This record gives sequence, structure tokens and C-alpha cells, in this order.
Amino acid sequence: MLAACSPDLGTEVGVARFGLRARFVLRGPFRPASRGSSPPLRPCHKNIMSHHVLQVALCAAAGALPAVAQGPVFQTPGMPSAPTHYSAPGSAADSGQTNRFSSSFNPAFSFVLDSILDSIHNSGPSADGESIELRSLEFAAQSWVDPHAWAYFTAATDGESIAIEEAAVHYTGLGGHSTIRAGRFFIDFGKQMQTHVHELRTLERPLVLRTYLGDEVKGDGVQWDSWGSIGDKTAVRWSIGAFANLLPESVDEIDPDSQAAQSIADRKHIEDFNFTARVTAFTDIGENGVLQVGASARMLPSFAYTFEPSGDEQRGLDNTVFGLDATYGWTSDTGLQSWTFGGEYLLDTGDTYSTIGDSGTPGNPADDVVEVVSQDLGGYYVFGDYAWDKSNSAGMQFGRVELPEAGTPHAAEMEAYYTRMLSEFQRLRLAVALVDRDAGEDSVRFALQYTVFVGAHGHGVNW
Amino acid sequence: MQNTHLIRFSRRGFAALFLVLVAAPFVLTRAASAADPLKVVCTLPDLADITRVIGGDRVEVSTLYKGKENTHALTGKPSHLVALSRADVFVQIGLSLESGFVPGLLENCRNAKIAPGKPGFVNVSEGFRALDVPTALTRKDGDIHPQGNPHMNLDPRAGMHMARVIHDHLVEVDPGSKAGYDERFALYSKKLEEASVRWTALGKDWKAKRIVVYHKEYNYLADAYGLVIQGSIESKPGIPPTPNHIAGLVETMKQEPGAPILTALWSNNDTVSEIARATGARIVELPNMCGGLTGAESWIGMMDLIHERLTGGFKPQGDAR
Repeated sequence: MLAACSPDLGTEVGVARFGLRARFVLRGPFRPASRGSSPPLRPCHKNIMSHHVLQVALCAAAGALPAVAQGPVFQTPGMPSAPTHYSAPGSAADSGQTNRFSSSFNPAFSFVLDSILDSIHNSGPSADGESIELRSLEFAAQSWVDPHAWAYFTAATDGESIAIEEAAVHYTGLGGHSTIRAGRFFIDFGKQMQTHVHELRTLERPLVLRTYLGDEVKGDGVQWDSWGSIGDKTAVRWSIGAFANLLPESVDEIDPDSQAAQSIADRKHIEDFNFTARVTAFTDIGENGVLQVGASARMLPSFAYTFEPSGDEQRGLDNTVFGLDATYGWTSDTGLQSWTFGGEYLLDTGDTYSTIGDSGTPGNPADDVVEVVSQDLGGYYVFGDYAWDKSNSAGMQFGRVELPEAGTPHAAEMEAYYTRMLSEFQRLRLAVALVDRDAGEDSVRFALQYTVFVGAHGHGVNW
Repeated sequence: MQNTHLIRFSRRGFAALFLVLVAAPFVLTRAASAADPLKVVCTLPDLADITRVIGGDRVEVSTLYKGKENTHALTGKPSHLVALSRADVFVQIGLSLESGFVPGLLENCRNAKIAPGKPGFVNVSEGFRALDVPTALTRKDGDIHPQGNPHMNLDPRAGMHMARVIHDHLVEVDPGSKAGYDERFALYSKKLEEASVRWTALGKDWKAKRIVVYHKEYNYLADAYGLVIQGSIESKPGIPPTPNHIAGLVETMKQEPGAPILTALWSNNDTVSEIARATGARIVELPNMCGGLTGAESWIGMMDLIHERLTGGFKPQGDAR
């Protein structure tokens, strides 16, 4: 570690680390602790012997301690400082036991590539044909912050724009089994809404979830969750979350000339925050089975519909989606074969959709009004999967939903899928999905999904 | 326009649910008595067996694996989480063998007594000389483990090490029962020494004999006796075999025949049978942990069974003795 000391360099010492020679200027936090009373370290030819001794000591110190030598020379009053174990308060040092160039405590980085080759055939005017797309490149990092908190983020891009899907901290220092999660994250609703789309068993989220909640629902907020046990084989978990806005991203995809836009005020009273709640129990069934049941709710106590051409707005609207889910899994003794059956029922209540009333001058949107429909809608999905070895599994999913449109027409979706894990880090999926609508076009989709996982990829998903 | 009745109901329901959930932890938790035996949760039945022997009536042991699984993968169950949340001691192999599920279970169970670094957290591979420690960490080499091959429970030389680590931690957690732990450890050490004599006698002629493995589970066994691993059916650890790899392995086995194929219960699959048919090799199904096969209920019993079956595997084809 210690390569050479230059006797005429005063406080500069040469240190070789891992074969690379670097020069460090000792300053900031690595000045001697008694620097206030010690004479300044300057070349002094009159007492070269004592300087040699001092330089050897400094070289040894530089070799033994982390190289926190890139900070500013002085910590001037009023400037931000990060406390460290080995520096005086207010001295200049980067956070923790490292400097800004060290990777010792870096988070675990990972990324996922999710691509789809598909062929879609519609019965109506929507575009048919084949396509190949990189559906998402998801980039994630996660790390412990300190013994009581860990943080992660997930950013995703479809090749055109980058979005922060999740960025949150799990604080575990409350004691007991409680966790506080704060930041932006997917809602804790049912079995699938926490999950990123590339992790699903199917190509997309079930139709009923897409219709009543959205493709993905994430919010900026805070959530408390905890769990307890009943007997030796049952665990019960619950969560309560409060968010600024849980409208799905698809609210931005409306046609502003013919549809009203949904919105939630940025600043509002606490009772107008958006809330989620979930309680779930899972229990051993025999030696090889596990049953999980759960109930969830997502509440939007106050939102508005605004029709841009006329400026008409309906405020104080509310909507709540309740969900009930049940999943049973059976795994063979070797852990290689497994059956999984599950389903979820959703009830969408309150103000579920809006129409535009052609009031005033017929055909003139400038005096049209927003008409809100309040009603209860229901839908469900069920699925069954079988894995016959470590690498292969197949399944089917069926769903039916009352659509939030005039006359509440139904739509049904069926998907059959085969998944092949080429290894732990590559997945190939072949799927056929059919959508049958009472009103509107039907569609058939054949798809080949290829997903690659690089690095320690994980999400802050609860069980 | 709004269905106000339903919304009022849902808000009241929401508030009631909140109160119930806040109260639940106080209702559901139960204080443990100091006189109770130590609750010990082990990942592998091997570790449970050794813990029971050393702990005697001072321990109440449960396991996460049952004995027939692939030791790298386990489907987590509610009972695992509940058991860990109440445990005084947790025993694992380490070397990242259980890294697929143990960190998540430990994080969720929130039991400070068994957190890594605490006396109640027992990593039996600690201080053990691991094999196959990678010189570079790249997934090009498959699902490798940074600290080395984690299947040290299948090393006939590892029994004493595992027993000592478990003994030391039990003494640290429960010093009042030290005399009992010491006494049982001494007795178990004697049994291990006797067993070691048996195994050495069986394995004395195995040096340089060839074996083929499905997964690199039996590398410690091979190392103990100087067995030569002619090939593995997985192209790299954890990577399913490709047709090219199988063809190459079959060619190698045909050129130098006679090596038995060692598989565990989880890996004794169609590919193994096809290779055995193509090469005339004998399949030797071995336990990869206690509890999976009759006779392998204890760690010493499992090692006896492994030596017995491998001895049979090296006999000339057609020799039924």
C-alpha cells in the first residue's frame, strides 16, 4: 500500500493502491486531530529528520484510512456538511465511511429488457398486423440506507421517454412487524397491482384491473403495513396508504375534444387524499398447499371531470373500488411441479364515468356540459397455472367486466400462455389473448414475449 | 348524482377496518416464557438433526425444507414466516445457498434475535473452507455463488464443523444450559469419528474414479475422496442443459465409459435417463439433504446412505451384490 514519500513535498504524500500511484493532499478531515495546536506542516530543512518521521506516519495513515481526500479544503460556516464517524462536526467529508468516488456501499443495480413480437387482428377499424417492440427497459437500484431503512427506485423507458415508476423508502425501525413506505410506489391492491407488468404471469394485467383501476397505478404517498399471526400456520397482513393522486396514467390518453378529463387537485385537505387499504391472510393447507385470501379498497374521495372546449367542470366526485381475491397454490415435494388457481372480484362504485351533454347550440362543444354517471359496476378474472418442471409452465386466464359506458356493456378476455425459463435470467413466453366485447370490436393477439433480467432485480412487493 | 349511501358506508367501513387493524398486533401476539425450550428454525433437515442432537430437550426444532427439494429453491409458506418471527435461533448453511428466500423471510419476520450478526443467527459454513470459489463474478459462468460451492452439507468431513458452530451458538444464546450442550456435543463428536472410520473404509478405493453429476452438489464428496468429475449435465451451475452440451457429454462418456451419474431426487429427470440409456451409465440417486430418502433421516444416516449407494454405483454393471 505504501509506495513512496517525497521528503520535499510537505503535506503531500504519494500512495500506491492496487498498483496505481496516486497523490493525495492531506487536508480536510485527515488533518491531525490536534491541528489547532500543532505547528503547520511545512517543509523544514532544518529539522529534516523529524519531518521524515512525520511523513512516514502520514503515509501510513493515508494508506490505512479510506481516501477521503477529495473534499473541499475548508468547511466554511453555513455550508452543508455530512456527519461522519471520523471527522469533526462541520468538517468536509462525503457521506458515511466513503468518499464520493468509492463504490463500496453502492446499491445493487439491475435492469430488465421486456420485448414483444406480436400479431393483432381486430374485428373493427383498429390497426391490424404484426409488430416487434421493446416494451420496456426497466432500470432499478436498491440498497439499505442504514440499519432501519432501505430504498429503491425503478425507472422505465419504452425507448422514447423515461419515467420514474417507483422511488421509495421502506422504514423498518418502528419495531414489531410494521413498515412505513414513503415515496412513489405501486398501490397495494389485490395480487397484481403491486407487480410490474414484466413480472406478470400474463402479457398484460387482467382486463378488470385495467378497466377499474388502470394499467398501472402508482402514487406519491405513504403507506403503513404490518402483520401478525394466528396459530402456527396463518399470517395476516394489512396496509393503509394515503396518496396525493391515484388516477391511472391512462387518464391522459383521452380525446380532449370529445371527452372530459379526470383530475385531482394537487393541494387538498387530508380527507381528500386518495387512500388504499388491504388486509390479506395466508395459511398452510396441508404439507404442500397455501391459500391466500384478501380484501382491498382504493378510494378517490374528491376528483373532477373537466371538458376543455366548454370549460365545464364537475367537482367533488368520488369513486371507490373494492376487491376480493383468493389464490391457492400447491407445490410438489420436490418443488418442481406446482398448481396455482386464483381469482379476483372487483366492485367499482361511485362516479364511474362521464359523458358530454350537447346542451345549448347543437353541435357546438363550447357550451356542452359534463354529465357524470354514478353506478356500481362489477368484474372478475380467474386463472389456473401448472408448472411441470423447473423451466416450463402453462396456464389460462379468463375475465369478464362491466364496462363504464352507456348501457354497461360487457367485455370478456381469455388468455392462454406458455412460459419457458431458458435460465433463471431469461424468459420466453408464448401467449394468445382474445377480447370479446358486447359493443365495439373484438381482437385476437398472438405474442412472443422475451424478457431478460440482468443483476439483482427486485421490487418492494409485499406478499 | 353520487351514490352517497354507499360512499358513507365505505368510509365508515374504512375507519372501522383501520381500528381493527391497529388493534390486531396487540391481540395476536403472545409473550414467550423464559423457561420454554429454545425455538430453533433450520433451513435444511440436516441442520435440524444436528441441532436436535446437540440441543436435546433444550430445543424445539423446525425446518423450512422437507428433504426432497432442490436446495436452491424453496416455496415460502406462512408457517415459515410465523416460525421465524418466534424463533430464538435460526440455522442456515450460508454460502448463499438459501439466498433466494432467507433474506426476504428474515426481513419480514422482524425478529431481532435471529438477525445476521446476532448470536441467534447461525451460519454453519462460517469458517469452513469452501470449494469452487469463483475468481471472477460473471453470469457467463451460470448461477455461481460468490463465496463458493454451497453444498457443504454433503461433505463427509463437514459434520464436526457444523456441530461445533451450532454448539457454540446454542451456548452463547443459552449459557445456562452449557453443560448439557457440551455433553451432547462430546457424544456426537464420538459418533462422527466412528462414522468417519466407516466412510473412509468404504471410500479408500475411490481415488481417481470418475463420476458424472447433474448439478455440482457432490463436489465436496468428490473432493473428500479424490473422485474425478467427468462432466455435469447442467452446462453451468443452474443452467439447464442445451442439446449441444448433452451431445458433447454423451460423446465424452462413451469414450471413457463406466462413470455413474449422480443425481438428487429433484434432478433425476428424463434428461438423466436419456443420457444413461445413450451411454449405458448407471444412475445413482443420492440424497442432497436429510429427509428425502429412507435411511437419510439423520445426517450420519444420510452419509451412510450416500457411501452405500456410491459403493454400489462403482460396482461393475450386472453385479447385484
